Amino acid sequence: MALYNRSSILNSMIMSRSIIRIRSITRRLRHCLKELGSQGIVPFLIVLGFFLQGCGLVFDAVELVQPLARDEMSAICSRGQLRVGISVEPFRPFVFPAVYTDEGVRVTGLDVELIREVADALTIYCGGQKPVVPTLHLTRFRDLFIEMNEGHLDLFVSSIGGNVPGARPAGLWYSIPYFHNGGIGAMIQKPEVSESVRAQFQKQTGNPDTLAAIQTGFSGLTVAAQKGRTSHLYAEANLKNIRLLICDSLPAAVETRDPRIDVILSKHAILDYVTKHVWPDWRLLTRNDGTPLILTQESFSVVTVEEHKRLQWFLNNLLYRLEESGRLEHMRRRWLEEDYAPTRRATTEGLPFEVSKVPEHYDQGQCRFATGR
Amino acid sequence: MSKKDILMESRAFLFISLSLVFFLTWPNIGRAQAPREDAEITAQHLAILLNVGRLIIERNQTLINDPRRGDKGFTPEVFEHEVVDEFIGQTHIDLKNLPSHLPSLAKELLPVLLQSSKEVVADAQLVINQKGIGYKNFVPATFGSQAARKFSNRSHVKIKQTTLNPRNLKNTPDAYEENALKRLATQPASNTSIIEWIDNDTTLRALTPIYYSKDCLACHGDPKGILDISGYPREGAQEGDLAGAISIQIPVKNR
Repeated sequence: MALYNRSSILNSMIMSRSIIRIRSITRRLRHCLKELGSQGIVPFLIVLGFFLQGCGLVFDAVELVQPLARDEMSAICSRGQLRVGISVEPFRPFVFPAVYTDEGVRVTGLDVELIREVADALTIYCGGQKPVVPTLHLTRFRDLFIEMNEGHLDLFVSSIGGNVPGARPAGLWYSIPYFHNGGIGAMIQKPEVSESVRAQFQKQTGNPDTLAAIQTGFSGLTVAAQKGRTSHLYAEANLKNIRLLICDSLPAAVETRDPRIDVILSKHAILDYVTKHVWPDWRLLTRNDGTPLILTQESFSVVTVEEHKRLQWFLNNLLYRLEESGRLEHMRRRWLEEDYAPTRRATTEGLPFEVSKVPEHYDQGQCRFATGR
Repeated sequence: MSKKDILMESRAFLFISLSLVFFLTWPNIGRAQAPREDAEITAQHLAILLNVGRLIIERNQTLINDPRRGDKGFTPEVFEHEVVDEFIGQTHIDLKNLPSHLPSLAKELLPVLLQSSKEVVADAQLVINQKGIGYKNFVPATFGSQAARKFSNRSHVKIKQTTLNPRNLKNTPDAYEENALKRLATQPASNTSIIEWIDNDTTLRALTPIYYSKDCLACHGDPKGILDISGYPREGAQEGDLAGAISIQIPVKNR
C-alpha cells in the first residue's frame, strides 16, 4: 500500500499561494489604474505600449483594465453562462454519479437543484432576456479550489463545509449555509465498534462528551476519511490514537479490503443515504438511544472567490430568501427524506455538464495510510 | 382551307401533342416509382440498423453495469465493429463497403445513423467507465433515443422510438403512430414493418415493431406497478409482448 505523500499537499499549497500572490499584485495594479481614473488610463496604456512594444503584453494590460468596467455579475449576464464546479466524486444525495438519460449524460442531486435555483435567479437579475445557463465542470474535489483560484469557475457547490477549522483556503469566500443540519458522522460494519463507543458513553452518565467517547472508543481502530474533506481534517486534529487511512473517495474506502477498515468518517447526511440505499452492509454509528452519532456540527456553503462581492451578496440574499420561503427546507426533504430513484430525477431535472472538463481517467482511486501522525 | 383540312390539321396537332407529352413523361413515370421503392428499402435498413445498435448495447449490458471494472473497453470503435458484424449477419450488407445496388438514399443515410450511434457511445464513455457504479441507465432505450435524435437532427428523415405508454414523454406516439401501434399490438409477433404512404403519397411512414426479450423484463416485467431500478413503474410485460416500435418518416417531395 502506497504511503500517503505530503509533498502533493505541499505542492498544491505552494501553487495556491503563488496564485493568490499573483492575484494580489493584479489587485494592486487594478487599484492604481482605478486611481488614475478613466482619463488617465489611455495615456498610461500608450506609455506602457512604448515600453512593452512587440511583447504582446499590451493585450494583457488591456485585459487587466477590462474588469474595471465589468464586474463578475455583468460578466455572467453577458456570457449567459454560470460556470459552476461540482465534485466528480459522488456525494449522494448532494451529487449523484452521472447517469445516461434520454437527454444525454446528466447529474442530479440537492446541490444540482440549488445550482438551478441560482441560475434561475441570475436569469431574472440579468433582465430575463436570455436564460443564464449553468455550465457544470465536474472535477476532482481537490481541484475545485485550484480551478476557482485560477478563475475558471464563478462558484462551486459540493456539500462543502465552511465552519470546520482548516476547511477554508485563503482567497475563497463561503456563503451562508444552504444545509445546516449536517455534521460529521461515522459508519461501521462490526458491532464491536458500536459497543465500544456505547460503553464509553455509558461511563459518562449525566455528562456526555462525544469527543472523549470517540477518542477512547476508536482507539487502535483503522479509520478511513476522504482526502481533504472535513472528516479528514477532523480525524487529523482530534483522533490521535487511530490508524488513519486517507482515501481518494468514499467508494474507495468501502471497497478497501486490506487493511480492514473499522470506521468510515464522512458527512452524516451522505452516510445516512448510502447506508440505506447503496451499501446496506454498512450502518450508521449511533448513540445509546439509537439516534445518529454526530462527531461535530457542520454546515454547507456555496463557495466563490473573495473579490466577488456582488456575487457574494447575490448568493447570500438568494439563500436567505430560499430559506425564508421554505424552498430550501423543501429541497432538503425532497432529497434526504423522500423515497425516489435518482436516475428518474436525473432524466427529468438533471443538468448536463461539460464532458471535456471531466478528468479523463477518473476512477474512485484508492486508500493509503496517513504519514507523519 | 376546307373544313376537312382544318379537322385533319387539328387532329394531327392533337396527336403530335399527345405523343410529345407521352414521350416526355414516360421516363418520369418510371422515375416516380423509384424514389418510393428506394425510400421503403431505406426505411427498413435504417430500422434494422437502429435495432442492431440496441441489440449490441443489450449484449454488453452486464459489462456496462459491472461496478468492479473502471475502463470497460466498450469504446465507440468496439461498438461499431460489433454493429457492422451483426448488420452483415442480418442483411448481408457490409456497412463499411456499401453495395452498389443499394438505393442512393440508403447509401447516404446508413453511414449517418452509424456515425450518430457511435457518437452516442462516445458521449456515454464517462458514464460507462465509472467504477463503483452498477446501473448507469445506458440501456437500449436511452441509447436508441439519443441515436435517433442525433440522426434526425442531421437529416430530413426522422427516426423515433415510440410506444403506447412511453416512460419518456418525448416518445409519445403521434396519431398515425398510435393507430399503427394498436394494430401491431393485436397482431402476432412478427418482424414485418408497417409501411404506408400518407399526405398524397409524399411521406413514407414506417413502423418496425420491437418486442420484449427476457433481458428487458428485469425493468419492464412483473410485478406491474412496482418501481424498477431506474424509478419507473414496471409495465408487467411478458416475453414477446410488443414493447414499441421504431418509427421512420421520409418525406419524398423534399428530394
